[in-house]
Amino acid sequence: MSVSNTPSQASAKTKSKTRKPATRRQKRDWMFAAGFLAPFMILLLVFQYVPLLLMARNSVYDYSLLNPAAAKFVGLRNFTDMIEYDDASVSFGVTFLFALGVVLFVIPSAFSLALFLNSKLPARGLVRTMIMLPVVTSSVVVATMWSFLLDPSNGLINGVLNVAGIGNQPFLTSTSQALPALIAMTLWQQVGFGAILFLAGLQGLPAELTEAARIDGATRRQVLWNVTIPLLSRTTLFVVVIMTVFSLQAFAPAFLMTQGGPQESTNLIVYHIYNTAFIMQQAGYASALSVVLLLVVLGISMAQMALLRSRWNY
Amino acid sequence: MKKHHMRRAFFVTLVIALILCCFLAPYAWIVASSFKNQLTLFNDVTPLSWKAFLPVGGTIENYQSLFKRTNVLTALANTAIVAGGQVALTLLLCSMAAYSLTRVSFPGAKIVFVLILLTFLLPIEALMVPLYQVVSGLGLSNTLLGVMIPWVASPFGLFLLKQAFEELPVELEDAARIDGAGHVRIFFSIVLPNVKVPMLTLGLITFLFSWNSFLWPLVIVQDPANQVIQVAIAQQGSPTQLPNWGETFAGATVATLPLILLFLLLQKYFTQGMTTSGIKG
Repeated sequence: MSVSNTPSQASAKTKSKTRKPATRRQKRDWMFAAGFLAPFMILLLVFQYVPLLLMARNSVYDYSLLNPAAAKFVGLRNFTDMIEYDDASVSFGVTFLFALGVVLFVIPSAFSLALFLNSKLPARGLVRTMIMLPVVTSSVVVATMWSFLLDPSNGLINGVLNVAGIGNQPFLTSTSQALPALIAMTLWQQVGFGAILFLAGLQGLPAELTEAARIDGATRRQVLWNVTIPLLSRTTLFVVVIMTVFSLQAFAPAFLMTQGGPQESTNLIVYHIYNTAFIMQQAGYASALSVVLLLVVLGISMAQMALLRSRWNY
Repeated sequence: MKKHHMRRAFFVTLVIALILCCFLAPYAWIVASSFKNQLTLFNDVTPLSWKAFLPVGGTIENYQSLFKRTNVLTALANTAIVAGGQVALTLLLCSMAAYSLTRVSFPGAKIVFVLILLTFLLPIEALMVPLYQVVSGLGLSNTLLGVMIPWVASPFGLFLLKQAFEELPVELEDAARIDGAGHVRIFFSIVLPNVKVPMLTLGLITFLFSWNSFLWPLVIVQDPANQVIQVAIAQQGSPTQLPNWGETFAGATVATLPLILLFLLLQKYFTQGMTTSGIKG
């Protein structure tokens, strides 16, 4: 994700080589660049920038997707509605709680897994492959799999709990257990991805640093807390942001496993937007919700960039 | 010392076994159960028996009825077309754009780059509603093209390839340039053959993203004849509507198997692509 100034470097190179025929050659280059970039840029404008502007515009209208022509300008009412009615605050609250839970559990588990995988280990490749399987499995299959794993009467997890002497749990049908169950599922699904990222970070550390600390008499635990973890703070920030942004955009669990329930306890925001726009046909309000979601995600990404750019580095 | 080693070996084995159980057992249960009828399936879980993880007393009835009763086979073919098309178009467009940005000097290159950079931060899910209007406005709703076209100008793909193109020494192209070769020829005969690994990585990540995508195809395609696999199996059954568990599991197996095989074959490139990008479909 590094923003380099290489276009200008490359251009400096080409310029020095093509000085002789000057303008004709340059013009041909421009024509070529325009032609080669056009397909990409046109699609980017049509499918990213146009929707972005359309969303901003739609957020001040009241309309349905079935009959967009009958749109009515309502100013900021969609946004004031968000404050007045508590569906938005409930949904955003549930989503933040979900993201928080995912991050709090994924980070330490992924980091421990990475440490484990970074040590001398039999069957290391096998373990790494296993933890990556859920990452390449679609969110639909993971959600389907887990809704059956978590089934109150015939699910595998209750089968295992029974062996341990614990009675059947309701999981997805309980207001207090549904969201934690979704967090557990997401942990299972994402921990391998986090571990691979941490592992790449660990393998990028200069070995001399930890060795030097060991020679100076530090215990393994001291090296871990005072050398390794601080050195990995950039990787950690990266994983935190990826997991947060991923969780904020989760859709399949709510759609397939809980339909947002029970009592909106798992009404994740993207599912709420989907329902508002495509089922309840209130596309204007859905656009306003989308604007808020977009701003939240952009805010998180920008904060990450600012932190990474500052010389907050060891 | 020896005792210490033994204890560590025991601990390590225990942790590995635990990890394998956590990550493998759900898959084993799903696949094994896809070969069972409802009664056998339930009996193996309560009380829990080792049979739950093996296709004991197997039958292929679930698969037969799945293929006969639902549109899963059509959906598989559609998904293959969408994913294949998306990979081809993404590779083509991103490599062309990356070449222009790294090898040609033209006015406005900075602005173009910033425009692309900004979209990198856009959360796709938040744009679903307006995107639906744009794509159906273009008359592409209910088409396979409509499923793939919004994603082929991928900022992630551009960054990945731009980085690879920058690492490629320009000297490689000098000889050809002196011989009077134009950009098009340099692009196809010198640059592209030298970035095979990044292209493969991008192709795999794009395939994964496309194969697994759900919300967008759910929104843009209603016609069952043009449905993709994730939507097909999602609509085939859910626990709330008295499903046939074995059949649902057969659907999940069919939808996942191609990707898992691909992953097992080309794991190195998958992992590489994911760690460099931090993006997951």
